Amino acid sequence: MPSKSVGAEYIKGLWEENPVFRQLLGMCPTLAVTNAVINGIAMGLATSFVLILSSLVVSALKKLIPSQVRIASYIVIIATFVTIADRFMAAFFPPISKSLGPYIPLIVVNCIILGRQEAFSSKNSVGRSLIDALGMSTGFILALLVLSSIREILGMGTFLGHQVMGAWFKPWIIMILPAGAFITLGILLAVALVIESKTKTRKN
Amino acid sequence: MNLSARMIVVLTVVGLISGSLLAVVGMLTKDRIAFNKQQEIEAAILEVVPGTEISKEVFTEKNFTIYSGKNRDGNLIGYAVYTSGTGFQDIISLMFGTDPNVTKINSLSILEQKETPGLGAKITDKELFLRFWDNKDAGSAISLRKPAVRSQDELAPNEVNTITGATISSDKVLSIVNQSLEKLKQLKKAGKLISEENDAE
Repeated sequence: MPSKSVGAEYIKGLWEENPVFRQLLGMCPTLAVTNAVINGIAMGLATSFVLILSSLVVSALKKLIPSQVRIASYIVIIATFVTIADRFMAAFFPPISKSLGPYIPLIVVNCIILGRQEAFSSKNSVGRSLIDALGMSTGFILALLVLSSIREILGMGTFLGHQVMGAWFKPWIIMILPAGAFITLGILLAVALVIESKTKTRKN
Repeated sequence: MNLSARMIVVLTVVGLISGSLLAVVGMLTKDRIAFNKQQEIEAAILEVVPGTEISKEVFTEKNFTIYSGKNRDGNLIGYAVYTSGTGFQDIISLMFGTDPNVTKINSLSILEQKETPGLGAKITDKELFLRFWDNKDAGSAISLRKPAVRSQDELAPNEVNTITGATISSDKVLSIVNQSLEKLKQLKKAGKLISEENDAE
């Protein structure tokens, strides 16, 4: 693993190991909060904050934590940062905090975060864990951005609250409902698989 | 140190550090969060009892608070009722304002809701829903006009419009308002809205 360059460590989170499109992790927030771009961005940033700080702490403490209690310790560390993010948003960005509702506290059980601690931070140095967390966060934010842009534009005819579709456009209500989330995600996953298989055959 | 001792020590220390960190964050953000909430309520009072300069809590119980709204001269110009109840999906918190004698509803404002986006969530939409709540006769219970009509003139004085495609959400809002309105009238009759007595100060 150390043979990987710093750049490659970062880039892998964007596509090759993209948490949403390639690893299919963190589906709950991905589906639930992407009905508007602003919610997608806020969710992505809050998750990134938690992921980056948890990765730093876990990789710094990896020698001290006995493996029998590692999951319990990780969850306490993650929950601490989630609560900080939640309180901070409620204090300084009340409208966003309101529209994300219970999904901020639920970052605690987002498998992207615990997954990265188990698969990466608990085995790698602080520096590498930071790069990995940054890459995964960027990948997650990008995925949410793509998903929420499609859903908001088709479902409400707006982007970040600004009207982008003409008056002729009749919003597809289904796109901002849960069914729209599944449909959009399904299509995007199919696209991701096609691209992946195309690049693979080219390599061979 | 043997393993079980190490496990206990590590978990205790992690818990302690996390707990103290959260205590600090809680203290730092508590006032700000309370302030946001307060501001939101004050803005809503101003919206449902226009012209309010001084508002005071005159009655409160669980999920039901009445504020009195007074103008600059200290005359009572209305009541704002802040309450919540079950919607189609989750709790709906709303505020409505009445005149001092509780004979009419000034307007309605939705503070918190998690209704279906695009359908039930339209209860926060001024054009589609809230404007039909302006200046309603509160002499008897408010009723819902189904199917929806286009203009205010087609509605009876104590009738409000339905949202097409979100009848349940409209109905839930209606029943929350009707229940609270009844409560407000009873409290008013029983003289429990103490603000009148405080006028001297």
